[in-house]
Amino acid sequence: MMVMRDVQTDRSEREPMNRFVIFLCLALASVLLTMSADATMASDTVGAEPTAEQLEFFEKEIRPVLVEACYSCHSGESEKLQAGLFVDSREALLHGGDSGEAIIPGDVDGSLFIEAVRYESYEMPPAGMLPPEQIAALERWVEMGAPWPAEEAGGDFTRPTFDIESRRNEHWVWQPIESPKIPDVADTQWPHDELDRFILARLEAQNLKPTGDAGRAELMRRLYFDLIGLPPTPEQTANFLSDTSPNALENLVDQLLDSPQFGERWGRHWLDLVRYAESRGHEFDDDTRNAFQYRDYIIRALNEDVPYDQLVREHLAGDLLANPRLNPETGYNESILGTGFWFLGEWVHSPVDIRKDEADRFDNMIDVMSKTFLGVTVACARCHDHKFDAISTADYYSLSGFLQSSDFREVRFESLEHNRRVAQQINALDESYRHELEGVLQNNGLTRPTIAPLSVPSLVDYGSLAGDQYMQDGFIFGNRPTAIGDAYWTLGEEGKSLAFSTENAAINDPIWNGLESITEQGIGHRNRLYQIPRSGRTLRTPTFLLENGDVSIRVRGEGHVVACVDSHRLIAGPLHGETIKPIKGNSDWVTMRLDRYIGHRIHLEFTPAEDKQLAVSLVLQGTDRDTTKSIDEHTANAAAAIADYENAANELINREAADLVESWKRERSALQGQIMRRSHLAMAMMDGTSEDDHVLIRGNSSKPGDLEPRHFLTALSGNEPMKIREGSGRLELAEHINAPDNPLTSRVAVNRIWHYLMGRGIVPTVDDFGVLGQLPTHPELLDYLAKDFDANGRSIKKTIRKIVLSRTYQLSSQPDAEAIQTDPKNMFWHHRPPKRLEGEAIRDALLTLSGRLDPTMFGEPIPIHLTPFMDGRGRPRKSGPLDGEGRRSIYTAVRRNFLSPFMLTFDTPAPFSTMGRRNVSNVPAQALILMNDPFVVEQTKTWATRTIEQYADAESRLKRMYEMAFARTPTDQETTITLAFINSESKARDVSPDDVDLWADVAHALVNTKEFIFLP
Amino acid sequence: MSLNYPFPCQRYQPAPTSRREMLKRCASGFGAVALAGLQTDPAFAATASPPGPKVTVPQGSAAHGPHHAVRAKNVIFLYMDGGPSQIDTFDPKPMLDKFDGKDPGKLFDVEPTQFNNNGNVLASPWKFNQYGESGIPVSDLFPHVATCVDELAIIRSMVSEFPEHTFANYFLHTGSGLQGRPSMGAWVNYGLGSECQNLPGFVVINGGLIPPGGVDCFGSGFLPASYQGSIFKPSGSGVANIEPTEPTQQRQRDKLDLISQLDGFAVDRFGQHDSLESAIRNYELAYAMQMAVPDVMSLNDEPAHVLKAYGMESEYQPTQTYAAQCLIARRMIERGVRFIELTCPKVGGDRWDQHGNLKSGHENNALAVDQPIAALLKDLRQRGLLDETLVVWAGEFGRTPFAQGKDGRDHNQFGFTVWMAGGGVKPGTIYGATDEWGYKAIENRVEIHDLHATMLHLMGVDHTRSTFRFGGRDMRLTDVKGHVINDVIA
Repeated sequence: MMVMRDVQTDRSEREPMNRFVIFLCLALASVLLTMSADATMASDTVGAEPTAEQLEFFEKEIRPVLVEACYSCHSGESEKLQAGLFVDSREALLHGGDSGEAIIPGDVDGSLFIEAVRYESYEMPPAGMLPPEQIAALERWVEMGAPWPAEEAGGDFTRPTFDIESRRNEHWVWQPIESPKIPDVADTQWPHDELDRFILARLEAQNLKPTGDAGRAELMRRLYFDLIGLPPTPEQTANFLSDTSPNALENLVDQLLDSPQFGERWGRHWLDLVRYAESRGHEFDDDTRNAFQYRDYIIRALNEDVPYDQLVREHLAGDLLANPRLNPETGYNESILGTGFWFLGEWVHSPVDIRKDEADRFDNMIDVMSKTFLGVTVACARCHDHKFDAISTADYYSLSGFLQSSDFREVRFESLEHNRRVAQQINALDESYRHELEGVLQNNGLTRPTIAPLSVPSLVDYGSLAGDQYMQDGFIFGNRPTAIGDAYWTLGEEGKSLAFSTENAAINDPIWNGLESITEQGIGHRNRLYQIPRSGRTLRTPTFLLENGDVSIRVRGEGHVVACVDSHRLIAGPLHGETIKPIKGNSDWVTMRLDRYIGHRIHLEFTPAEDKQLAVSLVLQGTDRDTTKSIDEHTANAAAAIADYENAANELINREAADLVESWKRERSALQGQIMRRSHLAMAMMDGTSEDDHVLIRGNSSKPGDLEPRHFLTALSGNEPMKIREGSGRLELAEHINAPDNPLTSRVAVNRIWHYLMGRGIVPTVDDFGVLGQLPTHPELLDYLAKDFDANGRSIKKTIRKIVLSRTYQLSSQPDAEAIQTDPKNMFWHHRPPKRLEGEAIRDALLTLSGRLDPTMFGEPIPIHLTPFMDGRGRPRKSGPLDGEGRRSIYTAVRRNFLSPFMLTFDTPAPFSTMGRRNVSNVPAQALILMNDPFVVEQTKTWATRTIEQYADAESRLKRMYEMAFARTPTDQETTITLAFINSESKARDVSPDDVDLWADVAHALVNTKEFIFLP
Repeated sequence: MSLNYPFPCQRYQPAPTSRREMLKRCASGFGAVALAGLQTDPAFAATASPPGPKVTVPQGSAAHGPHHAVRAKNVIFLYMDGGPSQIDTFDPKPMLDKFDGKDPGKLFDVEPTQFNNNGNVLASPWKFNQYGESGIPVSDLFPHVATCVDELAIIRSMVSEFPEHTFANYFLHTGSGLQGRPSMGAWVNYGLGSECQNLPGFVVINGGLIPPGGVDCFGSGFLPASYQGSIFKPSGSGVANIEPTEPTQQRQRDKLDLISQLDGFAVDRFGQHDSLESAIRNYELAYAMQMAVPDVMSLNDEPAHVLKAYGMESEYQPTQTYAAQCLIARRMIERGVRFIELTCPKVGGDRWDQHGNLKSGHENNALAVDQPIAALLKDLRQRGLLDETLVVWAGEFGRTPFAQGKDGRDHNQFGFTVWMAGGGVKPGTIYGATDEWGYKAIENRVEIHDLHATMLHLMGVDHTRSTFRFGGRDMRLTDVKGHVINDVIA
């Protein structure tokens, strides 16, 4: 009896209960149920011991249906059990599956099982609804208490619990990073560095020898491509080769690391991690407006060698840093630009299921963040605990909470820090003058009328809002709401004047009028939100649960209100237009009809029209006329009282405080002059309402389960809620990622660097250090590099420098014959296999040869060149230039639905998730591009033309071309063969040996040799 | 069709039974087949010298088919862009006539729609008649296809998860609603390799419309680039970069010879590496493709009666376009192209996406494809190719039985019709059913994953065993779902 009651109580109080406790109660209950066939079990809900008729009914009407319709997925016989639910015993049904108990005996409508066969929530069986008479029978059966004959327990319906601890203990990557002993080697002459000893020791243990060193010119070309992604000029080659000083190589490396092109090369690597694109994909490929600001940020950051932990901090929480990193030249806030990476994913317009769309977006954000920085696949735990790794579904949703608590904005990053300081001064000034003025009035016997507070239930009340819930993008709404009777400034037709507020309201200060936000021109911007001047001018209410579709807002002035539902922000018909509503100023109330979103979590955003003042007081759920009327009356009374107060005050001011108000006005004018009005925009995060997310059962967004407090991965920091000082907690999350005892972050970072330089990571699966990833080939070396990284201040450049100066990096690509026999996969690293250049490097090299390369850095993307084969909705109206204006490939527009065929063919990843390791395919289409693509033909012809002009004879032309393309002179054989080609072709074509087309063919042939696209 | 077609590895010899045999049979020894196959072959991956992620095939994976008897060697996927209406084509519903103009909300539960502008129940403007021995009803929209109805297995209980075009297109093409996953054609080639070295294994013949979601519907996702769909136009040079730069073939040959001589020194410079050798061989393959493509594109050698049957003489230009697509598809099948998708031609109005003007819109779209499809089925049958070619006709979803506005229909993912023919399909079959309104599938519901599983099954591939490791998971076309629909298999 007691037990049963407990079970029932559990159900109603499920929300705050720990799942484990529920599980225990249920398990206990069912154990007791199984054991006891006596009176203890009988209760009015469960029914007495089943009668013979009931059992007959069960056997005839119920069991056959269960066997026929359900067993294939929900029984001991199922090949694969679905949703953790067995239906082959009563106990199992009581216990239920992932979504909780399946039947509640006696409670037909409350039983999930019945819901499912009625197709009310789940739709079971999935192939089609049961006939009505079978459904009716099942309902009757539950109603009579779900009688079932006493039989052996129908199998083990409990599943093994997910054991994070043993998972963690069993896999290497969760173990602390060790400081490994530097290995002893027999050949002490070979290593340049400690790093080399890790490689050599393993080779020696296998009786293998490293192959010889790469030639100097070869090494130099390798360094140019690896560090800056461009070939050396013949002059650079000559300089290096003639530099015989012992530091020549180090100097070259330092020079390349200092070159601005370094950031462009390594920035492109980084963009692969964050699925960088400049459009949203999907149906119309709308702009990801100002995405290029993120691209430029990462190029600058890499060039400045911003420490890796700072990069992590800026990506996770650059908007929350107390001391953001400022651009040394301009003073702009750099840190906040890092948070743009969250928003580089796909966006959809008009999703019918808006909550599911959010869940998908969050999934991608969690996926990219966790793979990029942690090298683990947290997103695999979205629907179930990770199949292989020490990551639970609860971990996934704990991370989701950080996103739930955060918002998108287009930030005025250039003016942000400057205007923050100005805003602080304005706020302080206003407070001080207000105080002084009120003092004067009081001394003259005028006190502010006391207005009884309004007491209506509201969603948001700017009269009683908690301080930390006063949120905005920008500063124009001041640092707190204006209270009734507060003096504040308005800008009427006669200019600035002082007024006294008749309501508690968030009011924007006209001192900020005239902000100008500069955005990318873009191509496809159907987003209706773009039409509202929101950046730096938007008030954000706390998030609330919408229970009534009508939302009434008491607001005066002109502007817009936007209801942000489930963080959906691509408003471009046919759906969700109702989330934007103009405020026209002709009424004190605006009503939004949001029936569609009942049950969703939403917040409102208010933006005044340009040069207008907006006063937002109250947000109510429902449009109860009595309520609004009573509020209107209350406000009218207050306004009357304030009007009297204001008249009296104005009289007093004229008499006693004119100077005071004048100097207030003057000082404000001075501050107003300091405001930085123009700023570019960039995508960034801001904190919203701090809240946790629900676990979604089986990843289904319409099946929310328990709330999961925000925390870091349980395997690393335990299951306790994270201590969050304020807001979303992203700052604390970044601290966890950067923590010195986190075994993932540094290992993942140095492994990526190693991968980009060597062609294969120490852990080859650079984005997945989990069980399904590959094991490190040199685990001690990985830890050594990680420790070194930590010790050098997590400097990417220092780690690169260390690796490229190692002898290991400098090995030749000619394998030692014996070594390749023993270790054909080069697991022990006895030579350096040739690397095929990426599409970007190939294209940039072509531009370099032709002389077309324009070294201009940064800025809006160069439109993509469109071929007739690139078609579909959202196709840009104008094609970009064939040669991309000669700019480096990183500046060519990345439009999701119109990606460069050249790049795709050479394995530039489609931007949908983290891709730290590109495929390296080797297909005829690559040959077809190099043979026939008009861009290649054009560039090689230009190259030939220039060379002919500069060099008179065939041999010197050829020498120059080889130096430019391959950083070496041609061999005698190569010269002979090529000259023979020129000779015979000029005869065959009956043209001069100086013919441009002839030389264009030579140039074209050279870039089609493998040496052009493979780096020895 | 000339019998001394100059390129090897086509359909005039029995299909090779193994990759090894296939390699032996190819004149040049090392074809695109070999490359595509080798790159994804775990054995090869184990010995490949490039350090990079040549291909991340999981160890121990049995990804490479066939896993069982092959019923269909290749696929022609007739993609009906925009979502044709089931109740106006292959799923007649007399109840709609009876309740025409009535408020649907009073008759059944109406789910949220894309445009949220629902009108009254809308009867089909077309009449249905029974055809063939099977007596399967087809509406007047498809008079030609109706004559082939005994070849078709019509699935009337299809469901999708998405009411938005783009999601639904990605889902239909890749088994996931998200962008960037490998398309069916990529999966099929990954699993089986190509049988033609001179043409890509996955071809999209673009009649003019690219589905919402763009060319990513045909991408290779995380699979290597070699599996991505090649987009052909049914006229002109066909595919990008196939026309030689050089004015004459001899000039190109001379240049390639120079390249080849210079590449001869690469081994001295780099050492022996498979990646380099493959890259060198690519030039011979590319050269051969330059000739194979114009050959497959040229319809000059097709007899007049064939051209006429397909609709090349139609007065309606979109019919001509689709006729050319269907003919080129057949020619590609003859040459062993594994997976061919046809996208719809542009008709005057919208794609099959009639949010308004259902009557004229559906009529135009049907007019464009009806005759060519019927001719294709008959032609394949006559040439003995239909038994080994799976033809699939499908849109990304169906349409609502109630109007959008006055005379349109909104998207409906809850129940719609697709059909299959040839390649081991049970002909003259109707499978599954929607409710009496034609709104929701209620009997034998078929999910997109099931359709994929069945297509792969007919091709000899077990959808649960064709996997590729990416992002910590062994990815499949069918995700973790999919059941083969045995009842539509002969």
